[in-house]
Amino acid sequence: MDLLGTILWPLKWGVELLLVAFHWLFSNLGMGYNDGITWVLSIVGLVIVVRAALIPIFVKQIKSQRKMLEVAPQLKKIQDKYKGKKDQFSREAMSRETMELYKRTGTNPLSSCLPLLLQMPIFFALFSVLNDAQRSQAGVGPLNSSLAKSFGSATLFGDAPLHDSFATQWTSMIAGNPFNVAVMIIAATMVVLMTASQFITQLQIVSKNMSPETKASPMFKQQRIMLYLLPLVFAFSGVAFPLGVMFYWLTSNVWTMIQQFLVIRNMPTPGSEAAKAREERLARKGKLIATDGDVIVVEEPKKPQRQQPIAKSRAKKQTGPKK
Amino acid sequence: MNRAIATVLLFPRNGGVVLLRAYRAVISPLYGDVCRYYPSCSAYALGAVQEHGLVVGSGLAARRLARCHPWAEGGIDDVPLKRKRRYTVTPFGFVVAPSHGKG
Repeated sequence: MDLLGTILWPLKWGVELLLVAFHWLFSNLGMGYNDGITWVLSIVGLVIVVRAALIPIFVKQIKSQRKMLEVAPQLKKIQDKYKGKKDQFSREAMSRETMELYKRTGTNPLSSCLPLLLQMPIFFALFSVLNDAQRSQAGVGPLNSSLAKSFGSATLFGDAPLHDSFATQWTSMIAGNPFNVAVMIIAATMVVLMTASQFITQLQIVSKNMSPETKASPMFKQQRIMLYLLPLVFAFSGVAFPLGVMFYWLTSNVWTMIQQFLVIRNMPTPGSEAAKAREERLARKGKLIATDGDVIVVEEPKKPQRQQPIAKSRAKKQTGPKK
Repeated sequence: MNRAIATVLLFPRNGGVVLLRAYRAVISPLYGDVCRYYPSCSAYALGAVQEHGLVVGSGLAARRLARCHPWAEGGIDDVPLKRKRRYTVTPFGFVVAPSHGKG
């Protein structure tokens, strides 16, 4: 076994286990054992398990992003210091100082590389599981040869195999051999959907969930460029990857989109437009928001002073005439 | 003569540089800023491979990736520099033996 195979082995095992478990579940619920849709739903189930496991990390990131409000003045100071300096060295010095500030104040808003590091091998593991299944080869673990055969020959809409990609069909079309139009259409549709979901996610963040300080930073500009560069990346990968892997990616993108929507709605970045919208929404319901973003339910105003005890005789005098 | 040897010796790390540059150009931007350190993990990996070569550099990069988890404090974490630095880096990031001096 080569090095990469050794690293991927436990992940492939896990991916196979989840796929087989979901496949067992769906086929027992009455779906076709060999149907493409059953396998696609199994891939969707795999994504849901993986992304749900990453929720705690995401929540932690959101919480530290909230704390950013406390260091906003210091952050602004750094940004003012480097205002208008566009050369590489100033930019680097600025990132350096910003990072140091985050560390000093314990407000690092970045999520770390771990979630990516976890997801990428899962992605590759799925890729290689699909690749093996294509040749109806049994996997390393729970995916035995009969399941692998079922997975490998599963098709969508009658004749689009999950292991096929746009590129393979394109090659055979160029070569004048028979090719599969369904695969090409599905792949193209998924590229469009993936681009759309990624676009919406980014647009949500950029247009609603950014504080004015961030909008003024060079990071923002870079993100803007990415917004228009991503469709290209998706187009390239969408051509090369098999449909099954594309389904993983697409589901993951949709999950991110929904997660981002909920976060922007319920825990927006302080100072952003989404935060203002949320305050208005809550104000209409008669609730206020504390500076850390928590909702305070407004209670009836209490009487400012306690009633002084009064002697019976005086009480009579005070209340007497009014009666 | 020395330059030719250096070119051969530097070949593996320059291969690594090409791979890392490609990653930073194509895949890194997909995720935006995520790293809790400065320089980011991929920038650190690039710097480590340039400074220490493919094997040691990859080891340093792996150690850094292990440090970059959500419970880490983050902050500034530069590549440790060699005491004696004999190579220069081109704008693209290739490591070359300096063209002047005794080599």
